[in-house]
Amino acid sequence: MSEPAEYFRPLRPTELRQVGRPLARTDAPGKATGSTRYGGDYTMPGMLHAKVLRSPLASARLRRIDVSKARALPGVACTFTGADLSDRLAPTDIPGQTGAKRLDTGQSILVKERVRYYGEPLALVAAETPAIAQKALDLIEYDLDALPGVYDPLEALKPESPIVQGSNNIVAQLKIRKGDLDQGFAEADRVIENSYRTQFVEHAFLEPEVGLAWVDENDVINIRVSTQVIEHFRSIADAVGVPHNKVRIMGAMVGGGFGGKEDLTVEIYLALLTRATRRPVQLVYTREESFLGHGKRHPFVMTYRTGVTKDGAITALKVTITADAGAYVFLSPYVILYALVAAPGPYRIDNLHVDATAVATNNMYTSAFRGFGAAQACVAYEAQMDEVAKALDLERMAFRRRNFLRTGDKLATDVPIESAVWTDECMTKAWEALGERTPDSVPVKVGRGVACYQQSYGRIMWLHDTSEAWVGIEVDGTVTVRSGVTDIGAGQISALGQIAAELLGVSLSDVAIYHSDSSTTPLAGTTTATRALYMTGNAVRLAASAVRERLVARSAKALRATPSQVDLANSRAFVIDDPDRWIGFKQLVALCASEGIHRSELALFRAPFTDKIDPETGRGRVHPDYTYGAHAVEVAVDTETGEVTVLKSIGAHDVGRAINPAAVAGQIEGGAAQGQGYALSEEMCYQEGRLITLSLSEYLIPTAMDVPQIESIILESRSGLGPFGAKGIGEPALIPVAPAIANAVADAIGVRVYDLPITPERIVMALRQPDSME
Amino acid sequence: MQPRRDGAPETRKTMLADFDLVIPANLTQALQILSEDATRNGHDAMPLAGGTNLLVDIRARRAAPKRLIALGKLDELRGTTIDNGRVIVGGRTTLTDVLRAPRMAEHAPSLVQSARVFGGQMVRNSATVAGNLCYGSPAADTVPPLLSLNAELTLASQAGRRVVPLNDFFLGYKQNVRRHDELVTEITWPLPPSNSANLFYKLARRKGDAITVVGLAVTLVVESGKCSCVRIALGAVAPVIKRALAAEAMLIDQALTPTLIDAAAGQAVEACEPIDDARASAEYRCHGVYVLTRRLLTQAWERLS
Ligand SMILES: Cc1cc2nc3c(=O)[nH]c(=O)nc-3n(C[C@H](O)[C@H](O)[C@H](O)COP(=O)(O)OP(=O)(O)OC[C@H]3O[C@@H](n4cnc5c(N)ncnc54)[C@H](O)[C@@H]3O)c2cc1C
Repeated sequence: MSEPAEYFRPLRPTELRQVGRPLARTDAPGKATGSTRYGGDYTMPGMLHAKVLRSPLASARLRRIDVSKARALPGVACTFTGADLSDRLAPTDIPGQTGAKRLDTGQSILVKERVRYYGEPLALVAAETPAIAQKALDLIEYDLDALPGVYDPLEALKPESPIVQGSNNIVAQLKIRKGDLDQGFAEADRVIENSYRTQFVEHAFLEPEVGLAWVDENDVINIRVSTQVIEHFRSIADAVGVPHNKVRIMGAMVGGGFGGKEDLTVEIYLALLTRATRRPVQLVYTREESFLGHGKRHPFVMTYRTGVTKDGAITALKVTITADAGAYVFLSPYVILYALVAAPGPYRIDNLHVDATAVATNNMYTSAFRGFGAAQACVAYEAQMDEVAKALDLERMAFRRRNFLRTGDKLATDVPIESAVWTDECMTKAWEALGERTPDSVPVKVGRGVACYQQSYGRIMWLHDTSEAWVGIEVDGTVTVRSGVTDIGAGQISALGQIAAELLGVSLSDVAIYHSDSSTTPLAGTTTATRALYMTGNAVRLAASAVRERLVARSAKALRATPSQVDLANSRAFVIDDPDRWIGFKQLVALCASEGIHRSELALFRAPFTDKIDPETGRGRVHPDYTYGAHAVEVAVDTETGEVTVLKSIGAHDVGRAINPAAVAGQIEGGAAQGQGYALSEEMCYQEGRLITLSLSEYLIPTAMDVPQIESIILESRSGLGPFGAKGIGEPALIPVAPAIANAVADAIGVRVYDLPITPERIVMALRQPDSME
Repeated sequence: MQPRRDGAPETRKTMLADFDLVIPANLTQALQILSEDATRNGHDAMPLAGGTNLLVDIRARRAAPKRLIALGKLDELRGTTIDNGRVIVGGRTTLTDVLRAPRMAEHAPSLVQSARVFGGQMVRNSATVAGNLCYGSPAADTVPPLLSLNAELTLASQAGRRVVPLNDFFLGYKQNVRRHDELVTEITWPLPPSNSANLFYKLARRKGDAITVVGLAVTLVVESGKCSCVRIALGAVAPVIKRALAAEAMLIDQALTPTLIDAAAGQAVEACEPIDDARASAEYRCHGVYVLTRRLLTQAWERLS
């Protein structure tokens, strides 16, 4: 790839040459031409094919399972049932970087006795072909005794309900007690209370789960897998009973994650099968298996009780959140922590109570999904802002402005926000971009909505997040970056290249990046929590800066200048005030090499660490920092059929600094589409725990026909903790979309649909309510 | 480890059960194979057109034919013509072919409307009109338009041809009068007169690649200020797509008024036997039939008067 000449003009040292440009991402050509290799594109000679047998009941006791007929089938190499396994569990806790044990939340790798959800794995098979493996599954005999189950979190809290987890089905409970709630409500002129519900949501990434495992000559179990988290090698090693350095995870380009590849997927099955057979084993999920095989977004029931004065000052807020955790704990405790922190939204609320509870049921387990609990909270708090404004007859945006959190104000957890809070700027810009209003045409009514948000970037601070990266320069002046980061499609890797190129004064095409190998690339931490750019970007910045410093020092000597007078750009080192005095990068590197000057660096970036928040008040820091922004939409609602057409969709976000604005726009566009599905059409439906939307013809993600042209407005406060002042945009881009659409629909039809998704049917029902407009 | 080489057989990942694929070169051969199959092999063969229903069913283990008779080479069945006042669509014509056929928007406005919202581009490129009819899904999008146009099918076998009105084609849920040795070779209907309106509306949960929740087609002919002919076809609200005959009867020889249209729409709902499913409730489907019948009749009447 060659870059336009303008990038090569000499610039002032404060100016950035690579960072901030919409460069073609390093992963773009391969994806555009189809040459990129994903996990499923790797095969090995003599490879076996694995399949997983899953429970057809959501709550049952496994009385008997017999694999003898399957084993006897020619071509079957190996089977596993719960009885073949030790008592080791599959860890479901958030992957750590410290070795510290947090929650006791393991799940049997295969069901030993108790089935708790529909699709829970009962047995594994590895065979010479996928067809034989499939046939072997059909030959496995088993008896399940159905047990009473519970499928609603509010039901599951009742004492007479069946117990799915623990002693009372409560898998986590958190609270915030800030200010004086009674006093706050006493000061209010009006108190408005509403309940909002969200649904089970599927990640629906393009690439279903896939992996290939083999044992190498060092007796290391290698697993090439589509994952967001190569650090799982530790939990896999623990689960199969080998030392940590005997499991190696290699990623590949990931065809989408959205949190759905944050937990373990196929890894432990592959590790067991390859270890037992000593042959390479591949496991490829179909779409249906993918739907059954990973956790979903938590459905929430959220009650908001807001006290407000006549002129629109919020005096008190009481929030109750109940989340359906499904059958196993997984990341539920952390998801409700995010919801807890996000509950008031980007507003300053001095008197605040929040109670968040995650409850086990016999539904599919729920875990990470872009937005991680904070997305659900935004659905409620932004709907509630509109409802309160409506009740008080206040203009929606003026009411928001009156209450926006500003830099220095205290967050929900009673600690101040230090970075820029440009919610107002984002909301104003997004709204303005809606332009002229589309007129109504009977029976179609047009409405507009806006939603603002606060979303963390970076991991929970008591997880003690760190990231390592290595940057080195070859003697020909080309650059190599090594980072364990996985690229789940957002351009994580390319951004690292841009940062290294910026600091070393070369172009992006001079940088080669090695990634996602737990044994050979420095561990960079998970690609989750909108932390990849913040953490790995900073690690690369540190490593590249260290190398840069040595190069600058050596070139200053060669140019008879001081290091502060020298800059690196256009593959040369030059004197800033006299650019004709320069030395070529290659020559400089050769000089360094012959003098033994270190041309590489392994750096560690440490996020700020804290202890846990106070369990009684919720006081304390939870996240390093937050991103703020807004989304505005215009919709047309057919008031007869209830169909909704999104006409305009505009995201405006303060990303701190856009390392690559094209990649940022990609996130905003993807978030707009995903959020539209969340608002209008997507729902994983479970009947008595059984998934009834088992394909993409029932689980309705928006198509190109449904999504309008999306406009991305990028604001840059340069106040973030990431490299060059960047914040994060991965999760944030999604957060405000669904509530903005919900608000636009309510604006169009004059009544609110309190439950997502806002289907045509729900709109028709809402319009039939006696209190609905005409 | 080695990456997959281009051109390497992909069968190892196939999710379909095994079947034999027969590719006849022309219609005569195809009918011969089907006839032999019907007599000797006990109907274990099925015609394969675009495969957008059949292959999906085989993968889901809902169908397990031993042989597929691919119609891909039967170019003589592909295309649209006008003959003797009738529009003729060949039995291998795809939805994309329909959209590209000249003047089809005049010859079958409702069919073109349904083709525009049918699946997505890739599906329209493969899917055939005949396949849509033969599969007989209650949600099939070309059926309400073709019923509203009073279409007929030509069924051909080695023994000869017969013409069946679409109205008589379906026997029950995914059942029809086609014999195993027959192929649909033509779908035909009379050119709509100039004093007619023909409309279709697909009510679905999203705009692309959606299974219809209610499909509704209306044909209205107006002579001297009165409705001289009306056909209302209801999709996805009963095991078989059918006409709302009682509602039609209320309108014939009448000048349409909002009150009359309203009453007919209510009557159309009486013809529905919908189910609840993951896409919509039976109640909402009835509501859809009501508002869409009203809407399309009103639009048709306004256009003609
Ligand atoms: C993603 C997707 C989206 C879809 N969207 C829609 C939609 O919007 N609306 C809709 O109505 N349908 C939709 N469908 C269903 C399907 O595409 C249609 O029903 C299509 O018209 C079937 O035609 P085909 O040529 O693919 O038929 P095939 O699958 O090849 O065959 C279907 C049946 O018809 C028989 N058959 C085919 N041709 C003949 C013939 N000439 N004579 C006798 N028998 C024959 C076959 O034996 C088989 O039983 C969709 C399907 C998919 C996968």
